[in-house]
Amino acid sequence: MTETKQEQEQDSQTKQTRGADAVVKVLAAHGVDRVFGYPGGAIMPIYDALYDGEVEHVLTRHEQGAAFAAVGYARASGKTGVCLATSGPGATNLITALADALLDSVPVVAITGQVPSSLIGTDAFQEIDVLGLSLSCTKHSFMVTSVDELIPTLYQAFELAAEGRPGPVLVDIPKDIQVAAMEYRRPLQPVTALPAAAQTDLDKARALLAEAKCPMAYIGGGVGMASAVEPLRRFLNQTKMPSVCTLKGLGTVPGDDDLYLGMLGMHGLKAANLAVQECDLLLVVGARFDDRVTGKLATFAPNAKVIHLDVDAAELGKLRQPDVAIAADLCEVLPALSGDLDIQPWRDQISALKAEHRWDYDHPGELVYAPAMLKSLSEKLPKDSVVACDVGQHQMWVAQHMQFRRPEDHLSSAGLGTMGFGLPAAIGAQFARPNATVVAVSGDGSFMMNVQELATIKRMGLPVKILLLNNQKLGMVKQWQQLFFDGRLSETDLSDNPDFLLMASAFNIPGRSISKAEEVNEALDEMLSTPGPFMLHVAIDDGFNVWPLVPPGAANNEMLDKMEDK
Amino acid sequence: MMHSLELEVSRRPEVLERVLRVTRHRGFRVTNMQMREQGENTLLAITVEAERAIELLSNQLTKLVDVNLCVVKAQEAARQAAR
Repeated sequence: MTETKQEQEQDSQTKQTRGADAVVKVLAAHGVDRVFGYPGGAIMPIYDALYDGEVEHVLTRHEQGAAFAAVGYARASGKTGVCLATSGPGATNLITALADALLDSVPVVAITGQVPSSLIGTDAFQEIDVLGLSLSCTKHSFMVTSVDELIPTLYQAFELAAEGRPGPVLVDIPKDIQVAAMEYRRPLQPVTALPAAAQTDLDKARALLAEAKCPMAYIGGGVGMASAVEPLRRFLNQTKMPSVCTLKGLGTVPGDDDLYLGMLGMHGLKAANLAVQECDLLLVVGARFDDRVTGKLATFAPNAKVIHLDVDAAELGKLRQPDVAIAADLCEVLPALSGDLDIQPWRDQISALKAEHRWDYDHPGELVYAPAMLKSLSEKLPKDSVVACDVGQHQMWVAQHMQFRRPEDHLSSAGLGTMGFGLPAAIGAQFARPNATVVAVSGDGSFMMNVQELATIKRMGLPVKILLLNNQKLGMVKQWQQLFFDGRLSETDLSDNPDFLLMASAFNIPGRSISKAEEVNEALDEMLSTPGPFMLHVAIDDGFNVWPLVPPGAANNEMLDKMEDK
Repeated sequence: MMHSLELEVSRRPEVLERVLRVTRHRGFRVTNMQMREQGENTLLAITVEAERAIELLSNQLTKLVDVNLCVVKAQEAARQAAR
């Protein structure tokens, strides 16, 4: 009976169609309700198929904006984001965001139009070797060479983007294949099971945990990507093991966990770095020993044995040789490692360390102190909210001073560090979670990198809030010039910035500008309570820098404390 | 140090580029390479030179969707000797 039903279902889905229509049907079959893109010559048949409205399309004003919106959509929802672009410049404009998705393991499917098969390799108008370009910035990529491959290839693209360690997958479709007649037939979907952990490895890991006197959990973005936040929280609750998070891991451990020390690494909390340096066992969960985390690798957690858990076996031993390495589903491994730990003196030491290195928000003077403002914003945000950052000083202040309920609430370009990420990522997040309060926190440098997406906010009527911290500098570069380049401030002055509020008003976005600490509270309230979009422009002093800081090449216990800020 | 790898990869036009790009990017220099086609697959025998541990390359190559098998030959010899 079941078989007959399946056959009937299969038959009903077999009908004559065009390649372009099949593309849209595959999107719909994967539950994609919205795609982000920009049309052009070689992808016109697919845009023609979209015209019928089975899948909604959001027109951004630059392909990079489309791809980052897909990244924001994916990161805020856990679903796969989809972006579309035409051949040549359309495709090359996607590249930066695909690289961003690769380094941050974000499931994205990018579909690009390509010149007709007969013209490939002739230097045709808007022809570039997109498959060749994609090799170093995607998890995998395809160029469809026959219409028969089209549907299986697209299904495989969705499968690959989301399975194991997620990532971006590109499908390049020549125009003749988009217009070719074909039968729509749903392929059999393979089911990829995650690898299981070996019992001997679990036993070894449990033995190391039992022996440890000073264990630390070092938690990365892989936990959220693996939907393992709840198992991780249960693990920490049961073991009462102290923990730290990477930039991408923020939101995984609740901020009120007494034994959670916050972010580690270059701009991490001093307590987090010191605890990791002192620990005798490092439990690495979905993290990858990034250089911004470890500082000088040879001196990172120098006395620690290492248990490394990650779904990507290539991360195990890549930078630090683990004592136990387990490439398996975190949702299975974490419960298997859970148990009581006899480490009360270490917990007491962690609590003391945490108390000793609390943030000081008591900043004298009339000017807005960005860390304190971001802490206030964090406290004011409703439960369902997303913060999308750009890259630079403000990004680190957000990571240091805001609390997140889950990783999906904090979108930050961690691996690639892409300026211009924030605004389009916020747009994607707002579509993924229409009822959430979405705030793009940006700086005056980053904001201009994808400022054209203000037009998308206007066009789609999105209630995205923009908190723009303006110090009229490329602040993070300036900070490094001050610290490590003898104060030679090469090309970091932005004092000729445009009038940001005037610019926002051209896109029907109301706003307000503040510069004094006493205005912060009310201005944040106004931003959050104003229906629709809003820009809060905050003039901050260019003397403020991000502290503390591990200088490049130094060990994490050699953090510099606040220096000569005004 | 020199290492020998044997790979069985899907027979796709771009597969050589994929393998060689990863090899270069991960810090390995190809000193010798042979390929032949066998049914749906292409067989590659590659000798590489690097200061880095060969697992840093073989793990990355194994991850490629079009790489069906990647064997470090020295490891294989040791495994056979142990039998």
